[in-house]
Amino acid sequence: MTFRRPRLTPYVFLAPALVLLAVFVVYPIIAVIGYSFTDFDIVRPPVPVGLANYEKLLNDPTFWLSIQHSFVYLLVTPILIILSIGLAIIVNRAMRGIHIFRALYFVPAVSGSIAIGLAWTWLFDRNGFINSVLLSWGLIQTPVQWLANPSMVLPIAMLLTIWAGIGYYSVIFLAGLQNIPEELYDAARIDGCNTLQKHRYVSIPGLRPQITFVAVISSLAALKVFDEIYVLTGRTGGILDSGVTIVFYLWKQAFVLGHAGYASAIAMALLAITLVFSIINVRFLERGDAEA
Amino acid sequence: MTAATETTTIDTPLSRPAPRPRTVRRIRWRRIGSNAGWYAVLVAIAVFTVFPFAWMFLTSLKGPADPLTSVPPQFLPTDPTLAAYERVLKALPIPSFFVNSVIVSVTTSILNVLVASLAAYPLAKMRFAGRSAIFYALLATLIVPAQLTFIPSFVLAVNTFHYYDTLRALIFPALVSAFNIFLLRQAFRGVPNDLLDAARVDGAGEFRIWAQIMMPIVRPSLAAVAIFTFVTSWNDFLWPSLMLHTREGMTLPVGLAALQGFFSADFRSIAAGVTITVVPILLFFIAAQRYFVRGLAGAVKG
Repeated sequence: MTFRRPRLTPYVFLAPALVLLAVFVVYPIIAVIGYSFTDFDIVRPPVPVGLANYEKLLNDPTFWLSIQHSFVYLLVTPILIILSIGLAIIVNRAMRGIHIFRALYFVPAVSGSIAIGLAWTWLFDRNGFINSVLLSWGLIQTPVQWLANPSMVLPIAMLLTIWAGIGYYSVIFLAGLQNIPEELYDAARIDGCNTLQKHRYVSIPGLRPQITFVAVISSLAALKVFDEIYVLTGRTGGILDSGVTIVFYLWKQAFVLGHAGYASAIAMALLAITLVFSIINVRFLERGDAEA
Repeated sequence: MTAATETTTIDTPLSRPAPRPRTVRRIRWRRIGSNAGWYAVLVAIAVFTVFPFAWMFLTSLKGPADPLTSVPPQFLPTDPTLAAYERVLKALPIPSFFVNSVIVSVTTSILNVLVASLAAYPLAKMRFAGRSAIFYALLATLIVPAQLTFIPSFVLAVNTFHYYDTLRALIFPALVSAFNIFLLRQAFRGVPNDLLDAARVDGAGEFRIWAQIMMPIVRPSLAAVAIFTFVTSWNDFLWPSLMLHTREGMTLPVGLAALQGFFSADFRSIAAGVTITVVPILLFFIAAQRYFVRGLAGAVKG
């Protein structure tokens, strides 16, 4: 049991964190709500315009396209979960040198999005490795302009996100797998489960907290994707805005075009989407707890 | 239970096999033989994850006699040269980028952990009015995307704090992380209350308990959180790209993105630049590897 302490002490401990959060998180959120009702270019003082930004938003095809792209991007979440669990199962065995492989798989996660984005830009360049291989195998006759092709930008960016994320998320799943008691697998074996069924009926339910966690953080990350798009499209967002996601559009409106008021309205849309998402995630989480 | 105590055991049975008698060793070798298939799978996945970096590195070494593009692809340079590195280092102040990145990441990770561990202690071990309100408020800030705050933060940086185009603009907003507060609160909760009560009976104040009892016990968690914060800060791009304008003042990711514009079609130079910037963080990762596992695994014990 903890003692009762003088009243002020806990607040003194909390003060630095709370002050910083107030200045760098709470205030900006309130301010951006305010800016969304103004005409604002970041430099000159904002001028109130009522709901004009929101009206513009509703009739802006690029905005809707960016939302559509961000939702498509969410497809990386289930793919990442499946592949990362698979990788975690593969590396969850006592083999010599296994920790070296685990480390290698983690490399993309620490290398930084700009560096790996540039590496991929070069792979998918017109003169890049992918075209060289496909040409030499005779699968294509002329080099493909991968990143200049509107239908390819988003899939390549998603592939990059998946490639970079598998090693990272599999570490989380690996830790989860190692917390599942061995007896459960023994019991499954006695009940006649094969390897696949063992993972289906023991590993997957046992990984439930990790699955929820990875679903939440990887989908929030997918909604916020920016760096990959920025590098792969050479900061343009792609031909015909084919790679523009909601955060990219926010950035472009605010910091390239100087429409910070309008961008604040986009930020509100992002906030709304994130909140809805988090509520869904919390529901999901609670259901998981009830079942466990 | 803390992240540390749960996960430190992961690698030990595998990485440090005890010396064994000869017969056992023979059996182990046979097992390795039957594992050949698994090794093939592991190597294939490793090639898949490492290849883009390897290709970058090989490209950066290719000389004028090596075609950048050929069918089939040419892997090894026949005319290796460091000319691309020379070009990059001449064109961009990469050593300055590096120093700037070190300053920002080191300062951010140390101060962030300090702030987080201070906040985590009362949340883990004290009862006071508003504790759950503060806790849920912190939880709420976790789901708000940082990009949402960039416009007001930009205005603050220019008009209020006057740190636009300085490294302070990167450090100050990164000093607090609700996520790190959670991780450390989790670690602190694993410290037995008896220990704290004993210290209180001996007349120790709360700050002394925090500094001399709590902090040393959770040191592995502190290290894990600090290292994660370091890497996040090292690789951070969007906000730094908004704040840093002067070339000499840029961090590595921002400078690297500038490189793309600078050498648009010269992939040898871009490859050299990427190689130069990736190597330090990879070395850091190799040195601190175990903490990554610890930090990531600890994150889920909610």
